[in-house]
Amino acid sequence: MSLKIILAVVIGIFTGYFLLPESILTSTGLIIDIGLCLLLFFVGIEIGKNKEVITKIKKMGLKILLIPIMIIIGSLFGSIIAGFILGIPFNESGAIGAGFGWYTLSAMILADYSSELSALAFISNVVREIIALISIPLIAKYIGDIESIAPAGATAMDTSLPVISKSTNPKTAIVSFITGVVLSTAVPILVPIFINI
Amino acid sequence: MNLRLILYLSILLLGAILGYKDLISKKILSRLNTLQSISLLFLLFIMGIRIGVDEKVINSFLKLGFQAIIISVFSIFFSVLFVKLVRMVAFKETDKVGYKGES
Repeated sequence: MSLKIILAVVIGIFTGYFLLPESILTSTGLIIDIGLCLLLFFVGIEIGKNKEVITKIKKMGLKILLIPIMIIIGSLFGSIIAGFILGIPFNESGAIGAGFGWYTLSAMILADYSSELSALAFISNVVREIIALISIPLIAKYIGDIESIAPAGATAMDTSLPVISKSTNPKTAIVSFITGVVLSTAVPILVPIFINI
Repeated sequence: MNLRLILYLSILLLGAILGYKDLISKKILSRLNTLQSISLLFLLFIMGIRIGVDEKVINSFLKLGFQAIIISVFSIFFSVLFVKLVRMVAFKETDKVGYKGES
């Protein structure tokens, strides 16, 4: 699956770069929305079919929230260390890390602050999403199902959700959605906090 | 974002209810995996097009790509590590469910 994912993205990038005009951007937005809704519908069916899932989630209770919290701490910690290595001030690298893969929003929030930082936030979070899509099937297979939610970050509720659902099980898919909701809410709160430190 | 969240949630719920009440025909159910794969790969292809068609993204990628890769790799590594740690401590009793594997 990982190989197919890489191929699909790479072929897309080359097609877009060499064959298509930039004006196609608006219509691709609509296609993505429709495709995403279709995929989420399939994921929903899969969750519904597994009737014991809800009881399993209930058993986990509020502990579920530990997963998004750990992803927040891990992402911030990782990006600040990376910033330290690259010589980027910790508030700037922290703000980039607080995008959690949601590249459009994190870049937009930082656009006012500096266009260079905004571009870096955009690319870093695009790269995060691409690495997430590629690594999720591998992490699910070799490390663990819940762990495979971590790379996805805020995209655990939409673009990465189908990949997580396909690589793991319906229980993890629900945890993934909840995690994605918490992280998506945290992006517009944490990015401004960091940049204003 | 809020509107999107409601849309995603209602579509997920709709699918879940239809799946729970066995309202989906056997024909579709047996092809669910293939349907998911095809639409997923198509979606990723479109996402790739969006990256490739945007001159600004490609240019800044060449310029900032190295920094971006370092930042995202570190973020992902520590996210996975911290989730793994908390899972070992707080989710010990949660049984590991079998994987569906690749297809």
